[in-house]
Amino acid sequence: MPVLRRANSPMLLFLPALLVLAVFLLVPYLNILVMSFRTPGQGIPYAPGWTFGNYTKFFSDWFFIGQMANTLWIGFATTLACLLIGYPVALQLARGSDRLRGLRYGIVLTPLLVGVVIRSYGWTILLGNNGVINRTLIGWGLIDGPLPLMYNGLGIIIALTHVLLPFMILPVMGAIQGIDPALGLAARSLGAGRSTVFRRVTLPLSLPGVQAGCILVFVLSVSAYVTPALIGGLRVKTVAVSVVDALIDTFQWPFGSAMALILSVVGGLCVLAFARATRMKWAAAR
Amino acid sequence: MTTVSLRSLTKSFGGPPVVDKVSLDIRDGEFVSLLGPSGCGKTTTLKLVAGFEWADSGTIQFDGQDVGSLPAEKRDIGMVFQSYALFPHLTVAQNLAFGLETRKTPRSEITRRSAAAMDTVQLAGLGDRYPRQLSGGQQQRVALARALVIEPRILLLDEPLANLDARLRDEMRDFIRQLQRRVGITTVYVTHDQAEALTMSDRVVVMFSGTVAQVGAPDDIYERPVSRAVAEFVGRVNRIPATVVATGPGSCRVRTYLGEVTLQQSTSAAVGHSVDVTLRPEAITLVAAPAEPGAARVVSASYGGGLIDYRVEVATGQTLHVQAFAATRLAVGTAVRLDIRNDSYWLLGSPP
Repeated sequence: MPVLRRANSPMLLFLPALLVLAVFLLVPYLNILVMSFRTPGQGIPYAPGWTFGNYTKFFSDWFFIGQMANTLWIGFATTLACLLIGYPVALQLARGSDRLRGLRYGIVLTPLLVGVVIRSYGWTILLGNNGVINRTLIGWGLIDGPLPLMYNGLGIIIALTHVLLPFMILPVMGAIQGIDPALGLAARSLGAGRSTVFRRVTLPLSLPGVQAGCILVFVLSVSAYVTPALIGGLRVKTVAVSVVDALIDTFQWPFGSAMALILSVVGGLCVLAFARATRMKWAAAR
Repeated sequence: MTTVSLRSLTKSFGGPPVVDKVSLDIRDGEFVSLLGPSGCGKTTTLKLVAGFEWADSGTIQFDGQDVGSLPAEKRDIGMVFQSYALFPHLTVAQNLAFGLETRKTPRSEITRRSAAAMDTVQLAGLGDRYPRQLSGGQQQRVALARALVIEPRILLLDEPLANLDARLRDEMRDFIRQLQRRVGITTVYVTHDQAEALTMSDRVVVMFSGTVAQVGAPDDIYERPVSRAVAEFVGRVNRIPATVVATGPGSCRVRTYLGEVTLQQSTSAAVGHSVDVTLRPEAITLVAAPAEPGAARVVSASYGGGLIDYRVEVATGQTLHVQAFAATRLAVGTAVRLDIRNDSYWLLGSPP
């Protein structure tokens, strides 16, 4: 009986994770929250006194609002690209049972095996005005001048899509693998051909995985720093890049903190709205 | 409605054949069970009939018309799966409508037929529920209704009761059988449970390692098994070695440790040869006989509610299983006489 009771208190099992979260997430977040209300200083990180000015500064300047819009756009576009490219791959991986499956699985994970700095520099070599892609296209006579692939949103989206694909593929694959194979057979016994089985059974039942994948990719791309910093350069800045600029280069700790919090809240609201809009009644039904 | 005819159906998955030259004729409206241990090929046979697997050779005909080259979605079958395979993202009503929608049935007719099907399986009013909001038995009935609402040519059931608890299983057994009789649909039922096969079927097909061992009415299978394997798979049985002492047309006489018996079966075995006879545990009646010389003795008794399983040791040392009503109970150690009717013995083919 005591054994049962102990197993029945799941809070105990959460405790280590909660401690880690409290020390390394909650405390820093509170620190940032406090910092975001401090007065900016000259030549020092912050001055004595409190203010809402850091927030009004952000929302009263179209420059920053545009940066936020751009960041969100990069997030949406990257998520969409990962979904369109990743879904067929996930479907293949989930259904395949041949010997090459391990290899294909490994290939999916390769972007994660390369360090972020090296990977991003790799993309600059490919995407630059004098890069492999542009030189090849010019060499073939397909274009006259270089295509703008770097120092813009497109380049960031390409590079982020590359690294974040696994975060879309894996949850979608998991969802598809979780579908009882008998459901497909049942649908066929009821007269459904291949495309109908996909449209009416596989696709809707994979949506929880799609939902999870979209949230992961969106959050990771909106908060990405190294890739946008290296590929966007000085011309295109995401909010995350500006936050680091403010904290490290221009020494504006309060404003940087405010931007970081605004990014978190806006990103969180987007995720919440998405999760609500895509809520699956059947998955919650009990 | 539909007859089904299988001719030398063979299927292997790279190794030895899983289904090996299976031939079977199923009459219109008949309830046929494929019975056998796991791995005997019964489920693969069902999948071949359904069109989920392609046969390596052999033919499958519905009403004399070859369907072997049609995929499952074109065969017009209704199927019930062990896992029920209800679409979790669709309500009960949407599950029922699925097969009608793929057939482009008008909306009003879908509504009418779905409602009728819900009535048939006694689930009226649950159309808006999702499958996981239903009990196992209810899900099972939705699966049945979904398979029947499309009015298929044949109904295929793959161990549909395996996931239900014992009490519900008995209830559903009767329910499925009655429903099948009422609808009159040709039905193939796969099970490893001999009690299910015997109680539900018009005919039982016993399968071992991909081949058909015996086809017959339930009482044929149980009382007149063709082989030791069938006898031992379908219920409990005492196998008794015997020697042929006389043969004749349509009858023979054998000697066993229980004495000599005349059987109303002819045998190809010659006089003096060894054969096997079987005796079902419930065919033996135990009578307490304390004073009798050479009496048998009860060595164990396990109480099972209405019935008791005894093990009895005869004077010559062999043990027999006996099943008796629990109304009269015999203690372990009791000396007993065995009353056995002559026609309870069944002669199996001579052992190799």
